[in-house]
Amino acid sequence: MNYLSLVMIEFKKIKSSKVLYIFLIATVILWIPSISNVHLNFTMENQGISPENNFFIQGFMGMSWFMFPASMVVGTVLVTQTERANKGILKMLTLPIGRAKLCLAKFIVLLTLGAIKIFMAACAYYMSAALCSATQNYNFILPPFFVAKEIILLFLSSIPMIAFFWALSVCIQVPLFSVGIGFASIVPSVFIINTKVWFAYPMSYPFFLITSEYGKLAKNLNTSQAEPIPFIPTAIFITVLCIAISCLCFGQDERR
Amino acid sequence: MNIIETKNLSKSYGDFTAVSGINLHIPKGKVYGFLGPNGAGKSTTMKMFLGLTKPTGGSFTINGKKYPENRMEILKEVGSFIESPAFYGNLSGEENLEIISKILGLSNSSVSEALEIVGLTPFKKRLAKKYSLGMKQRLGLASAFIGKPPILILDEPTNGLDPVGIHEIRSLIRSLPEKFHCTVFVSSHLLAEMELLADYIGILNRGHLLFEGTLNDLKHMALSKGYPTDHLEDTFLALIDGDNQKRGAE
Amino acid sequence: MKSIFLEWKKIRRTGFFPLFLGGGIVAGAVPIIHMAVRSKVYLIEQTPPIPFLFYENWQMMAMVNMLLVVTGSSLLYHLEYDHYAMEKWKSLPMRESSIFFGKVILTISMSTLPLGMEAGAIAFCSYHWFEVGSSLLKELWKSFAYAFLLMIPCILLSLLLSEACKNMWVSLGIGVICLFTATMLPTNNFLLSLFPFATNFQMAASMDRTKIIYYIYGSALESLILVLAEFLLIKVRRSFT
Repeated sequence: MNYLSLVMIEFKKIKSSKVLYIFLIATVILWIPSISNVHLNFTMENQGISPENNFFIQGFMGMSWFMFPASMVVGTVLVTQTERANKGILKMLTLPIGRAKLCLAKFIVLLTLGAIKIFMAACAYYMSAALCSATQNYNFILPPFFVAKEIILLFLSSIPMIAFFWALSVCIQVPLFSVGIGFASIVPSVFIINTKVWFAYPMSYPFFLITSEYGKLAKNLNTSQAEPIPFIPTAIFITVLCIAISCLCFGQDERR
Repeated sequence: MNIIETKNLSKSYGDFTAVSGINLHIPKGKVYGFLGPNGAGKSTTMKMFLGLTKPTGGSFTINGKKYPENRMEILKEVGSFIESPAFYGNLSGEENLEIISKILGLSNSSVSEALEIVGLTPFKKRLAKKYSLGMKQRLGLASAFIGKPPILILDEPTNGLDPVGIHEIRSLIRSLPEKFHCTVFVSSHLLAEMELLADYIGILNRGHLLFEGTLNDLKHMALSKGYPTDHLEDTFLALIDGDNQKRGAE
Repeated sequence: MKSIFLEWKKIRRTGFFPLFLGGGIVAGAVPIIHMAVRSKVYLIEQTPPIPFLFYENWQMMAMVNMLLVVTGSSLLYHLEYDHYAMEKWKSLPMRESSIFFGKVILTISMSTLPLGMEAGAIAFCSYHWFEVGSSLLKELWKSFAYAFLLMIPCILLSLLLSEACKNMWVSLGIGVICLFTATMLPTNNFLLSLFPFATNFQMAASMDRTKIIYYIYGSALESLILVLAEFLLIKVRRSFT
């Protein structure tokens, strides 16, 4: 069996989980305030950011600091609970398939859920921007190339964070603790992005990078920018470490 | 020829010994009944065969393959049903089997065949969480039978079934070696059931193997030890009781 | 009384208590770390300590509190649904609603643990960095009693959601959405900020008396509505099963 079909099997398992509806509701809620407060985008002279850029970046900042990480914690619960609820994992472990392979397939599912969530936010952005352009008689729509660049950046920066959440949910058997620690780790990211050691804390990556993009778009603002070193090596190290730990721990509890 | 063999196989959890140095010999193409009261160590032994738990002592081979070196090869040849049925509640019976058939690289027809064998075809579209206890049990059995593996490891497969279901599954297990040329290693705590089902039996109590052989061998052994032999149930009870007394409050 | 005792017994070995304890430590650490890192900047501003500490830290502390409530209540019902324990309860001669109210009282009492730890942390900050001690106790007590009262509708709603959703991750997901919505609602709009999760961001420390009383009345009314919703949920569920 090739790896793609294993990943497809993992998708099949979360079929009818309605996770996409939850993502959709979250995305709609994200953009409603942006639409209703659209006039505020015209009062940003102090920051020196254009209304259309402000409209875009504010929405994505709102998403990247809490909504997106929290959705990913919920995603890990979905993936692990589907496996544990009726001991499906026990059956999987008696089939001729490597544990690490299975663990990676699940991680890919989680990454895909993350990508879907970001893609949904981008689609919702275009719809809201089109709506606001019509109501305000001002073009809020940004070029697709720019938007694509930003959402790819957001996705890439979230991989270490998702790997961390996944390792938490694999290694900590009590779902409550993995969820609790996951949630608790999101809240301080607002703090941490203002410190020098932000690069050691994967939960702050998406918010940090989007905030620095805000700084680039706003002429009068001076936000910290990500230096490739030590950020990229640290991010890769954290990701690899988390994936390795989760592959080692996966199914361990069921095999005692 | 023995398809499964164990050599001083043991499993301890801290101070507690679940399986204590057992030597099993399961002949190819037969139904081997693994008998013992609840908590005797039957499930633990079966879990060791599937790599679900690590032995703390001894070794075993399945079809000439050693654990842990050949774990994957072993799993490719074994269909299993362990403890309560394991499945995905949000998927239908058919979808559950499709997942397994894909992982095993089987043809599409294997799913419908397995469903047919256990009599679940009319309910294949129903979500597994909506199944009755007996249906869940059948689904678990179908996931073991799928692809007709050469070795079947079944842990108390008739639990939760009604008398008609018990009879059906029993006849099915009985017919498997002949139909599919496979070996069945099946556990139960009911001797009466094993009498109808097994060619060979192994009796386990508190992790120790008390007896291994055919039913006739068992009768001879009971006679020689002065145990009642009119009803096999009584023989079994006397054997277990004798062992318990011997070990005392161990 | 019996149902509270039973609920307490059910949460043994689930990590419910350590969760609230751990949450309390995290939330309590927020103002302390904040002051430790930035006290020099802050101490230049001559503001009374409690409103200041609340203004700087409360949003984050309240979020931790609400995440605790959302996670805790999802767990309480996950225990019921995971191994079909709920079916057993329904077959016993007891009111279905008593399970819910047992859980409500348990969560409310448990939430005093993180709130108490947070109050301790704020008191420590005022004493250590602002050098004002016992004179602030009354104000501190008032602020946290207010936070406690405003938390009740949030607890009721979370438990209600967890009861309605059999899958743990669904109730968690909806809880997170509610919390996120709350962060987006303007705190100065009275009606919108009455949303059960948003009320928790309100601070007594910087509010006038009439407004405080309005919020307390609002929360009481919400609690009443949510209690009625629980009875309605039981009725609806019965007619569909």
